[in-house]
Amino acid sequence: MNHAVELRDVSVRKRGVPLLQGISFTVGRGEFLGVLGPNGAGKSTLLRVLVGFERCQGEVSLFGIRQAGRRPRALRLRIGYIPQTLEIDPAFPIRALEAVMTGCYGRVGAFRRPGGEERRRALRLMELVRVAHLADRPVGQLSGGERQKVSLARVLMQQPELLLLDEPTASLDVAVQKEVLDLIAAIHRELGLAVVLVTHDLGLLPRAMERILLLKDGRLVYDGPTAGAVTGERLSGLYDYAIETFEQNGRRYISYG
Amino acid sequence: MVERLVEALSYPPIQRAVVASCLCGVSCSLLSVFVVLLRLPLIGVAMSHAALAGAVLGMLLGLDPFACGFALCLLTAASIGPLADRADLAPENTLGILFSFLIGIAFLGMGVLARSKAEALNLIWGSILTVSRAELLILAVVTAALLLFVLLLFKEIQAVLFNRRLAAASGVPERAVYYLLLILTGAVVSANLATVGGLLIFALIVQPGATAYQLTYDLRRFFVVAAASGTGACLLGLLVSYVLDWPSGASIVLVATTIFTAAFILSPKRLARGKRAGGRAGSGKVEGGTANGSRIA
Repeated sequence: MNHAVELRDVSVRKRGVPLLQGISFTVGRGEFLGVLGPNGAGKSTLLRVLVGFERCQGEVSLFGIRQAGRRPRALRLRIGYIPQTLEIDPAFPIRALEAVMTGCYGRVGAFRRPGGEERRRALRLMELVRVAHLADRPVGQLSGGERQKVSLARVLMQQPELLLLDEPTASLDVAVQKEVLDLIAAIHRELGLAVVLVTHDLGLLPRAMERILLLKDGRLVYDGPTAGAVTGERLSGLYDYAIETFEQNGRRYISYG
Repeated sequence: MVERLVEALSYPPIQRAVVASCLCGVSCSLLSVFVVLLRLPLIGVAMSHAALAGAVLGMLLGLDPFACGFALCLLTAASIGPLADRADLAPENTLGILFSFLIGIAFLGMGVLARSKAEALNLIWGSILTVSRAELLILAVVTAALLLFVLLLFKEIQAVLFNRRLAAASGVPERAVYYLLLILTGAVVSANLATVGGLLIFALIVQPGATAYQLTYDLRRFFVVAAASGTGACLLGLLVSYVLDWPSGASIVLVATTIFTAAFILSPKRLARGKRAGGRAGSGKVEGGTANGSRIA
């Protein structure tokens, strides 16, 4: 069976600066992959390569099809992307339900209008991520957590097979971080999507995350099971900072020096 | 007064001026929605100076200044998107660079132009009262094209205005919509050079959108409010110009500014934001906190 993602020796340079160097890995269909690393490690660049926003050297294959240049529409429909932040003016004229609906506009196609079925599905997805009560609120007036949930509903409207999430819990308080990550895990479990989640935050890795890539200075330094990545020695080396891990009541915790 | 107005409306130049006001109001107002929501206010100035540079070049080469201005304006509009995307520059920076380059070309051309520069400068000042039948026809075609663009591609436009990157990632033909919009911007600006001119058009492609921004959260209504305020400003400005014997372009822009000021003062969005900010300031809520240990698996 084809992988959802297959990268071979992928490198990205910008203005002479290497952002990614010789990255190779695969993501299976339905797999939950985490990409962890300090700021500037190349995590977001890696996601942009997968979405098609970044030119690169090397081979990128998505769903078994080798990609070169701009992604065709049919392929873009299969990949859902949530950027790190969604900056929007509080007075911007778009309500939460309309923002969610934009997720299906590519699939509906040009010169055609989304109908009642799309609207009902948008409302169902908003219920799934617990923001249905905010349907009529302007997106710019939502809190960071509410906006992230609207983004999740929007990306699900697209009906993707691969979900790319760039720091989905950035700037959220701990309780909302947990809620958003639980939603992502539930979406992965129930819809069987392949998920690639990028984060620099060691604090809240979803249990569903089966495998982790560790990136440092644009290089892949670890590709393996989550448990193997979360050791004091490995994390201390990754972040250049003393980090210890310990287990209590069957759960693993980390402690920053 | 009414008799005088009715009599004036029986003259073909005044009839053309009224039709031109409506077309100018609708086209500039629809455009202003994009200019305001995509934050590209410099685009009007860049386009009008492209037209000026084109007109001067046309005069130097012995060609029709209006046609050359129109052509260079379209060419500039069509090159902004690809230039910004390929050079990885923000569109507003690309506009700034193009604007200064085009004004340099225009001034150089005027410096070496031996004959009168009035024909080129007319594109900067414009005159809605002397608009010709051919100019009116071009304006009507451009306005119809912009209206069709908005009506046929409304959902794609909404996705692009919301977030260009997300629109592209979710399969919306974002680049085509954005580039088409820039080309239509060039067409609207150059078609309106004869009506309000290259300087005053700056106000008309910002203020109707800025007025609507004060009044609604609904994009459909946003287009309607912008079109109504822009067309109203053009017609009312023309009336003021006739009654007070003021220059037409200046009157239109002053009326548009008055409408925006009224919308700003009465803005329900701004007043609601003020109330919310007041409520938060009084709540004494403190956010934040850190932890040095957390669960990971």
